Amino acid sequence: MADLQDHPYADASAVGELDDAPSGAAEAPTPAEIDVERARVLLAAQLVVDGHNTLAQELDRTHWHDLQHGSALLDTDIPRIRAGGVGAQFWSLHVAPGHTAVRATLDRIDAVRTLIASCPEALRLALTAADMTDARDCGRIASLLGPVSGTALEDSLGTLRAYHALGVRSVSVAGTHWTGAPDGLTPLGEELVREMNRLGVLVDLSGASAPTMDRVLDVTKAPVILSHSAAHALTPHHANVTDDVLRRLHVNAGVCMVSFAPDQVACHLGHPATLWDVADHVEHVRAVAGPECVGLSGSYGMATDAPHTIGLEDASCYPNLIAELLHRDWSEADIAALTWGNAARVVREAQAVARPAA
Amino acid sequence: MTAARLLEEARSLLASFPVVDGHNDLPWALRQNAGYDLDRLDIAADQTGRLHTDIPRLRAGGVGGQFWSVYVRSDMAGDDAVSATLEQIDCVDRLLARYPADLAPALTADDVEAARASGRVASLKGAEGGHSINNSLATLRALYALGVRYMTLTHNDNVPWADSATDEPGVGGLSAFGREVVREMNRLGMLVDLSHVAATTMRDALATSEAPVIFSHSSSRAVCDHPRNVPDDVLAQLPANGGVAMVTFVPKFILPAAVEWTRRADENMRAHGFHPLDTTPEAMRVHAAFEDADPRPVATAATVADHLDHMREVAGIAHIGIGGDFDGTAFTPGDLQDVSAYPNLVAELLARKWSRTDIAMLTWSNPLRVLRDAEAVSRALASRPPSTATLRSLDG
Repeated sequence: MADLQDHPYADASAVGELDDAPSGAAEAPTPAEIDVERARVLLAAQLVVDGHNTLAQELDRTHWHDLQHGSALLDTDIPRIRAGGVGAQFWSLHVAPGHTAVRATLDRIDAVRTLIASCPEALRLALTAADMTDARDCGRIASLLGPVSGTALEDSLGTLRAYHALGVRSVSVAGTHWTGAPDGLTPLGEELVREMNRLGVLVDLSGASAPTMDRVLDVTKAPVILSHSAAHALTPHHANVTDDVLRRLHVNAGVCMVSFAPDQVACHLGHPATLWDVADHVEHVRAVAGPECVGLSGSYGMATDAPHTIGLEDASCYPNLIAELLHRDWSEADIAALTWGNAARVVREAQAVARPAA
Repeated sequence: MTAARLLEEARSLLASFPVVDGHNDLPWALRQNAGYDLDRLDIAADQTGRLHTDIPRLRAGGVGGQFWSVYVRSDMAGDDAVSATLEQIDCVDRLLARYPADLAPALTADDVEAARASGRVASLKGAEGGHSINNSLATLRALYALGVRYMTLTHNDNVPWADSATDEPGVGGLSAFGREVVREMNRLGMLVDLSHVAATTMRDALATSEAPVIFSHSSSRAVCDHPRNVPDDVLAQLPANGGVAMVTFVPKFILPAAVEWTRRADENMRAHGFHPLDTTPEAMRVHAAFEDADPRPVATAATVADHLDHMREVAGIAHIGIGGDFDGTAFTPGDLQDVSAYPNLVAELLARKWSRTDIAMLTWSNPLRVLRDAEAVSRALASRPPSTATLRSLDG
């Protein structure tokens, strides 16, 4: 499948001769071939659980795509997900807030489930941690539904349970009015978090305010996720997470899935974001929250010409990042935890919390 | 035969061929009267006086299958209607989880038969009104995925793609998108329910549907001229379609004197600032006061049997069923006061010399056959992709 790829970093020789970079552009990171090879070997054993892909939104805007054979217009298609070593994918069901959010969310769920059903050789719906493992072992990309927008719950626990019954496994709490209270959560917000715990729906804190993150971490009995957040200490972006919260995440045993989105990871003013910046963020989160609380979130699912981080332009690029981390002397155990272990553990533990006490 | 002997015969018949009832509004009653708190109205206990429905009375009534309505009021629209429908579905699922020894979840005809074999009430879900899908076929598919097995195309108000029997003519039956909704329901295996819809919509749906349709709770317009009932020309189309019209017990639809009385009572309710369908205790008190001054004409099992006699004449014995609408109506016939009373209706039919076979078709076999036929149509259409049509793309 790799021969279908047209990616400059998949093969170092493709960029080897580029010695005069256009002025103003950052130097393109080119991981050593030996590290990329090791990265591929590692990924073959421990695939990536990716926290956030917005393909479903992109499919709203564009009509013609051949995801099975590849689409030059998108940064995500099945050949590139496979080349990237992705074994499990959270498909975002985000919709704009408003008076048709429930309907739009049901539309999204239907679209993603139809997409999964239309690619049975590549994708398989996963509702549990065991489903993730089974799908991986069958060579399928485990597809998890989520997050849905918290604003699409209509303040209704019944609607939350209906989404869960339709397969949704995470809810993004950012932007809801029940997280707008001074102490971070209204009583309804607390009840919703408890109900998510009871159902085994992950609470996704990416983009939430600091008081909300604090309050959710007080209330929740299950590990939380940050589906697409980088370190606020390195890049002060509203969707990034502070060191204080990262330290609390360590106690909660949740996972912060580091976003590759350029505006969230650019560390150096005036310089475009690169793979090195992402590696810096991953290292920072590992240092503060611990190696068992860090994961990856490509934040792909956009048009090819949307802004991307240099070196991580599409869903096939994860080996480049792993190669860089190997270059920085990460242990294989830490890399396995980063790619698959941590996120899969959080899904499993959230399920264990949901299971009634025996 | 004496009345007691007839009743005994009816009970023994129902033990073998229990009622599959097309419509029961218990979920809405639990929403209105208990805020979905299933401890406040525990249907494992006798709730006579508070609800028409509870498990002991379902058992006594010989009910073997029930379509629980996940109705939401048709003045709800958009996401409010969708979200409220999801809450109604959630309510049914919570009932099923709470009373597993008495209620069995059912999605197919086989499930209904298995429930009978295990001595439980097969529980299916039906949505009442196209407003529940907010003009979205994906939302329709979501309802199917959550277990909804019929959808009434409208409730008391038109939807943008279908006319209601109790609203002004809108699109004149089904619009192009309305026909696409019917086709998508055929593909999914969700029954098209034509209760509540205008006669024009009934005819359009019968012309469009590849699967048998149902009337989940409608009686005969020839016997009692009310828009909620089915005209004879439509009943006469049921043999060709294979569908089933399930007679309802609501006095204000089936008894001409009650139709007139209800018109007066509704005026009184509106004068007091209540919606005529309001079943809150305050509204019921206003209703009761009116009733003291103007005694309500009382329907009986014989009134329902008059409808069934006529419907059998026009549609045929294979195309009639029962849809009581318990907990969806403030008043019931005198001897069909709650879900324990189906034996009274069966006894009335026995007295009218209906054969045991005919009664078994009415109570059990016909609805089962329709479910099974709709499943077969869905399988035959399996190669058709999910429809991506929208209201705008088809109706402009």
